[in-house]
Amino acid sequence: MQNQDGVQVDGEVESATSVPTPEFDEWANFGDQDIMQQHSAIRAEEAEKIPFLGDKEPLSSLAAEYQSGSAILLEKIKVLGEQYAAIRRTRGDGNCFFRSFMFSYLEHILESQDQSEVDRIKANVEQCRKTLQSLGYADFTFEDFFALFLEQLDSVLQGNEASISHDELILRSRDQSVSDYVVMFFRFVTSGEIRKRAEFFEPFILGLTNATVEQFCKSSVEPMGEESDHVHITALSDALGVPIRVVYLDRSSCDTGGVSVNHHDFVPAGSDLPNASGCSEKVSPFITLLYRPGHYDILYPK
Amino acid sequence: MQASRARLFKEYKEVQREKVADPDIQLVCDDSNIFKWTALIKGPSETPFEGGVFQLAFAVPEQYPLQPPQVRFLTKIFHPNVHFKTGEICLDILKNAWSPAWTLQSVCRAIIALMAHPEPDSPLNCDSGNLLRSGDLRGYYSMARMYTKLAAMPKKG
Repeated sequence: MQNQDGVQVDGEVESATSVPTPEFDEWANFGDQDIMQQHSAIRAEEAEKIPFLGDKEPLSSLAAEYQSGSAILLEKIKVLGEQYAAIRRTRGDGNCFFRSFMFSYLEHILESQDQSEVDRIKANVEQCRKTLQSLGYADFTFEDFFALFLEQLDSVLQGNEASISHDELILRSRDQSVSDYVVMFFRFVTSGEIRKRAEFFEPFILGLTNATVEQFCKSSVEPMGEESDHVHITALSDALGVPIRVVYLDRSSCDTGGVSVNHHDFVPAGSDLPNASGCSEKVSPFITLLYRPGHYDILYPK
Repeated sequence: MQASRARLFKEYKEVQREKVADPDIQLVCDDSNIFKWTALIKGPSETPFEGGVFQLAFAVPEQYPLQPPQVRFLTKIFHPNVHFKTGEICLDILKNAWSPAWTLQSVCRAIIALMAHPEPDSPLNCDSGNLLRSGDLRGYYSMARMYTKLAAMPKKG
């Protein structure tokens, strides 16, 4: 009896849910998977245009972009030119902050061969691992990303079998299987730091979105391609203990007359305390990023 | 490819360990292909899906875990966020909110949560979504219940 009823209703539902008009058939078959495939095809096409990491370019190439544009920007680029020599662009795929940070940091280690800095950051990385564990992340979800970053760190130090050249570092930074994994490592570290110090970050997050700290991490930190904000930068800088300078290039003009370019130094919490590496005096960031609304590139000081 | 395989192998071991802890989820890997999985999940209690067992099919891409697995219902289900014909699931973590912090096991948990908390404002099954949006809880419940009985429960006798 019940079964009979069911079948009858079933028939009705079938005709109601299926779209009868034939021209919609294609749309019915056009599922999310197709949309995602299309997205990745578009991304691949864009990738042809700008690699994850560009070549070092003189600052004049930045000015060239705005030749027929805003006079304020051109003025500011001129001011930038007094302090900075070159720019290295990154792809604008939402991961640009992390990719810029990755290359800048590894390049710094490669050039400075600062063993004590490597030891220091490794200790921080271990701390980050513990943070994630204590937050309930299963090891296997993040350990591959940690391992890949530590591998890069070892390979930029010279004098061992795995050592790599500057050219090789560039190649790796352009290789998706390395670059994306390191970006994801930073995303885990950033998320862990934010959640560990949730009460500190909460007001900033509320200022950005209407989400809880956990929602924010799940939706705006951990997924690839989610853009970084000052919250992400603060958290990453704190977690790894690496100061970051961000130079802002936008159309805002200051009070009267002279154009100046603002920058902000993200200095890790507690870094004014003397530490083992001995660089306790004054923290001056060795990573400088250029921020234009929505995008980060790497800047090279003179 | 190698990375995804290694990760899936770790998940496989984890699944064996968690079997007891999560009796509502039975996740099995294809004998010959670690990129193909199926899951049997129990319909959550106090929902029209209670008592039903639903089969999910997982297709894992080579870029996993940077890219999400593709998951769909093989068992017919009447739910606003599941395509009635294809079984496709509308769930943010399977699309743009995916991150490697998720696992096949936790995806199953998220799908069970979605069964209990439908999002009628982003429907893949408009009939189901409309019932909820118009406040016809009884209509939604009875339709969903009927399909659970028809498709997700073992036939008696």
